[in-house]
Amino acid sequence: MNTKKIMECERKRLNKITNFRLPHTFWAIGIAVVALSIIMIFVRAFVMEGDTEWLKVVLQKGLLVGMLLMSISKDKEEDELIIKIRMQSYAFAFVVGVAYALIMPYVEFGVSNVVNSGGEAYKDLGGFQVLSFMLLVQLMCFHTLKRYR
Amino acid sequence: MENTIKVERAILNLTQDDLSKRIGVSRQTINSIEANRYVPSTVLALKLSELFKKPVNDFFKLGDND
Repeated sequence: MNTKKIMECERKRLNKITNFRLPHTFWAIGIAVVALSIIMIFVRAFVMEGDTEWLKVVLQKGLLVGMLLMSISKDKEEDELIIKIRMQSYAFAFVVGVAYALIMPYVEFGVSNVVNSGGEAYKDLGGFQVLSFMLLVQLMCFHTLKRYR
Repeated sequence: MENTIKVERAILNLTQDDLSKRIGVSRQTINSIEANRYVPSTVLALKLSELFKKPVNDFFKLGDND
């Protein structure tokens, strides 16, 4: 196989991966998973007793998986305008997410020091916080742009 | 980019919904194109050209900012 053929093959494969979308039914499944996770987060916080830290981690992952399913499932009428809007929303969410990850720890540090009158340690954001924020921004941006298209 | 798709559609007596079904996009996409909010791809422009039986240049014109 010559270099040109290898490049063509790689380009096709990469295009296939980047254009991958789940069928529209996964949108409803995503909503159900997100709703169930949110309900269970409240149940765990206010009803359950004992060591349920493992459940918190599972529910956080569930929330992320649900939002990801919503994010990568096709629209009812997936046409070129929707694809463009989706790409715009991903680009916006990425930039806002990076800015959030850079700025938010300092905001949290400053606020907690003011509220607790000093002595608070600096903490970086966790993966869940950044990823859930990015997915939330992407979904909100996508649906706002879609509404105003 | 400016266009006269609304006029061409009226000549053929098509609604936005009819046109969208004929070229396989959503009605909102046709609305966005007609309002000059969205510039369609070459594929979509050629589909319109085939439907209107006119060259693309007849209903798409470059604007002052292009």
